Amino acid sequence: KKSGGRSRSRGCVLKEIHLNVTDLDLGYHTKEELIFRYCSGSCNAPETTYDLILKNLTKNKKLGKERVKPQACCRPTAFDDNLSFLDDSLVYHTLTKHSAKKCGCV
Amino acid sequence: PTATFALYFPQKKYSENVFVGQPAGTPILQLHVMLDNESETAHFCLRQLTEYPKIKLFHLDERTGLLSLNRTLDWSDFAPPSNSWTGPVKKLPLLARASQKPFRDKSCHGQTVHGQDVSIYINFYNTTAPSCSQQMPKQLCFPEHDSSPHIKENRLPGVFRQLRRLPPHYLCPNLTITYSIETEESSPFVFNESSSEVAVSRPLDREEREVYELLVQCTVRTELMLTRLSQPLLVNVYDEDDSAPFLNGTDTVEVVVEFNRKEGAVLGKMLVYDKDTTPIYPKDQSHNKYVGTMMTNDPWIKETFKIEHIFKEEKFGNQVRGTVHEYSLILNKTLSMEEKRSLQLDYLVNDTEFHGPEGTVMLHFNITVLPVYISFTNVSFLFTVDRKAAPYTQIGTVCVDNCKKFQGIEVTYKLNIDRNASLLVKTCYAAVAIEQSREDSSAILYVNRTDSLRNKDCQDLQYIVVAQERQNKQTQAKTQLTITLVGTATGKRNLEKDCPLSCAERRQRAECETCSGLGSPTGRCQWRQGNSKWISTNYSTCSPSLKTCPDGHCDVIEVKDKAICPQDCTTQRIIGGHEQGLMSGIKAGYGTCYCYSENCFCEKSDIEEVMCDDVCKTVIATA
Repeated sequence: KKSGGRSRSRGCVLKEIHLNVTDLDLGYHTKEELIFRYCSGSCNAPETTYDLILKNLTKNKKLGKERVKPQACCRPTAFDDNLSFLDDSLVYHTLTKHSAKKCGCV
Repeated sequence: PTATFALYFPQKKYSENVFVGQPAGTPILQLHVMLDNESETAHFCLRQLTEYPKIKLFHLDERTGLLSLNRTLDWSDFAPPSNSWTGPVKKLPLLARASQKPFRDKSCHGQTVHGQDVSIYINFYNTTAPSCSQQMPKQLCFPEHDSSPHIKENRLPGVFRQLRRLPPHYLCPNLTITYSIETEESSPFVFNESSSEVAVSRPLDREEREVYELLVQCTVRTELMLTRLSQPLLVNVYDEDDSAPFLNGTDTVEVVVEFNRKEGAVLGKMLVYDKDTTPIYPKDQSHNKYVGTMMTNDPWIKETFKIEHIFKEEKFGNQVRGTVHEYSLILNKTLSMEEKRSLQLDYLVNDTEFHGPEGTVMLHFNITVLPVYISFTNVSFLFTVDRKAAPYTQIGTVCVDNCKKFQGIEVTYKLNIDRNASLLVKTCYAAVAIEQSREDSSAILYVNRTDSLRNKDCQDLQYIVVAQERQNKQTQAKTQLTITLVGTATGKRNLEKDCPLSCAERRQRAECETCSGLGSPTGRCQWRQGNSKWISTNYSTCSPSLKTCPDGHCDVIEVKDKAICPQDCTTQRIIGGHEQGLMSGIKAGYGTCYCYSENCFCEKSDIEEVMCDDVCKTVIATA
């Protein structure tokens, strides 16, 4: 198994991609572009005792058929600044909480 | 008929270049002033506006206005003191002043008087002048930066511009530089070929023409060649207040105050014209200033009405700018409904800067204030309600006569029932309630209690609507209101067990139309199918009634519960592609917009509604 105590934080990382605003598929009609940052990577190792207990209970089938997620998810813990742009009809729009700034297993 | 006369410079600034080695006595510039009476003579004086150079390099002839070099310029004159002069060209600002009387020692340094001072900019070149043969004809003929001259209207004619550049004319005797000007027929400008000076030959009138364009032609003749150049010269005519105000038509306007009695209501307008311009800058000047006076001592009139004055410049018939003054009669306080009188209000408009007779105009406002009564003329209201209707369903609007026109009149509505009615009847009547509109003097009826509506013992509902003015409780009107209950109430079907309170939570047509939600008149939500590829006001959504929601307006019923129409009423941030409404709600959205309580989301639907287009219909028809 690769992930040790250290590489845990390396699993869930911030990545970025250069996109057109139209690629976001939010319905905006514009030629503007942006850098979209997102969180990617695994959160295999338990972060807390809760995660460990949940993992053990699922493994031992103590929770029956209930659907619980024993693993943490790699998600943004902070967001980028707002992004404003002008659309083709000369109307301004502002996107908030649209791009990640920090990531974490939560 | 004009204001105080004074001589003035017909140009805002002068400039010329000087070079190292130019000899003492070289003429630099010829200044001109325009006089206002023939016996007058002009005197000039010169001030240097910077400390450096400490010596006086220039001399301005007090009587002729000719600026020349005091001494031969040498390299030391351009030696920079510390770091204040760097680079090849430096600008030396000078100030020339003109007066009718000779200047004494200190009078040249007094406070600046507008029009009697003129700026002169001397550009120092840290090189010797190019030789006469090296200079381009354009440089020999025309100054680098030309300043358009201006002539004040109604003034004495006279010389206002020297076309020649004096240094090359003086320093290059081998070159022949001559000028001529092209003018229209009957032009007020004359040109003296021997002196190269342009003069205006008669007093000008701005109300006749504002701008004259002269074409200056310059011919440079050397032994080898002859060059001809031309450049336009625009002469602006400056205005003074020499026109009296006038009216275009009647001086009386009839005004009726009836349904709009609110403070600030504009009751009538009158226009006063003036051929003069009205500069708005600088603010403290009095040119063409208008002062208005209300000609009354009646305290009631004084506190009830006011006149507002605005003005703008417009081009009158001959394409020359004039001023249009607009006087609006405004209600200064909200009038009560009973107020009834008629009066004439006279307003005196005075053009204070116009010195001739008839500098005033009298405006007459014939004002009639009519009383307003609250009434329902031959109206009894009749509405129907489905027994399946959900709470907050809008039933209809009640409105006294002319209520849409009312402003400054507050009408409240009440629903009355027979006091002696039985408890059952009273319970039945609780089904409907009324709410005041915020925009006008009407009220909206809505479903308040659905248990009464579904009760089979409750039949048609009869109310008396009482409308009342808020200020004056005596003025009221009554009419009959009948609400017919139609359809049959059914218990919730199994299908509807999982239905949410709000239609807006539904994201698909099928689940929308099988559910009921707050505000739905038929007990079924309604689906709106948008068809835009982008963000649109016609987004897809599920609503209780497409008549009222979403219409971009959060009305008094919808605001009672956020679950009725969050599409119009949400104040939370909307997630997804959207445009926010002005006060609240979604103005435009992408795909389908749906809301959980106040949180709204707009996104492209995963399952596209199968729309049967023309091709599809043809296929079905042929099959």
